Amino acid sequence: MEHLCSLGGNNKKMAMLRESQIMKIHYITGVAALFVVAVHIMMRIAIMPYGMSLEYENVIANYQNIPYIVLLESILVLVSIHGFNGLRVILLELRQSKKWEDGVTVLTIAAMIALIAYGTRTIIIANGLGFE
Amino acid sequence: MVSGGFYTICASGEKILEMEKEVADRNNREGMMGWLNPRRYGWERVSYWLQRLTGVGLLAYFIAHIYETSQIAGGPALWEAFLELTQTTLGHIILIVVIGMCVYHSANGIRLIFVHGGKGLGKPGRPDYPYDAVSLNYRQKSGIWIALILALVAMLYGASVLFGGE
Repeated sequence: MEHLCSLGGNNKKMAMLRESQIMKIHYITGVAALFVVAVHIMMRIAIMPYGMSLEYENVIANYQNIPYIVLLESILVLVSIHGFNGLRVILLELRQSKKWEDGVTVLTIAAMIALIAYGTRTIIIANGLGFE
Repeated sequence: MVSGGFYTICASGEKILEMEKEVADRNNREGMMGWLNPRRYGWERVSYWLQRLTGVGLLAYFIAHIYETSQIAGGPALWEAFLELTQTTLGHIILIVVIGMCVYHSANGIRLIFVHGGKGLGKPGRPDYPYDAVSLNYRQKSGIWIALILALVAMLYGASVLFGGE
């Protein structure tokens, strides 16, 4: 019988996803993040010298480019899901109890949402800066 | 087992003092030290904790990077001031370590996806002395070494870009 993961590992009433399904999401987000991060790094070093790519005007220009915004948002979502789920897995390996598992899951999901919201806020503000 | 106050009653009717049981449970739990101990399992164990350490390191860098890039919203002066903090020798060294962590975590992560899919583990065999696990074979060991070598090469390339004067 497959172990049910939930908001917490063994609370079947709150079950949302099996641990096997969560690991599939972990692998898919990991591989997808690898590709989008590779494109992001190539944009930093292949199009112009690294130092020049960090100049204010060039960074703002990136935030005006819709495909690049989609890339940045993809990185934000994929890496956040992969990273915080990885942290959840590590923390669940260290200690097991219903209270701990529920707490870790809720905290990592909350942190993930907060980081995505904060990063999206930067993208929206930086996108607006170019039109002033 | 039926829990009853400070005591737990086993199926056999034996009472166990809860506090003693808790102390015994804690003594059996190695926690972080068991997680970090590389002695019992060889290279696979080193790979296991490197994957976790690089993962936590990359998450920390990612959070810092999101904060760093958010400074762009404060205008050019704030952006330039913040860049001066990160575009230093120490900042570059941290970035080179991050490149190494990223490449190792990615390459070893791909190996682990294959392992969890049952690829490259070999066929199960009779456990004979010295009881070497079939799954911990040369394919897995070479995968770990390839991940480490790729990380080193990427770090050297990163150093050439960051310190190369471009």
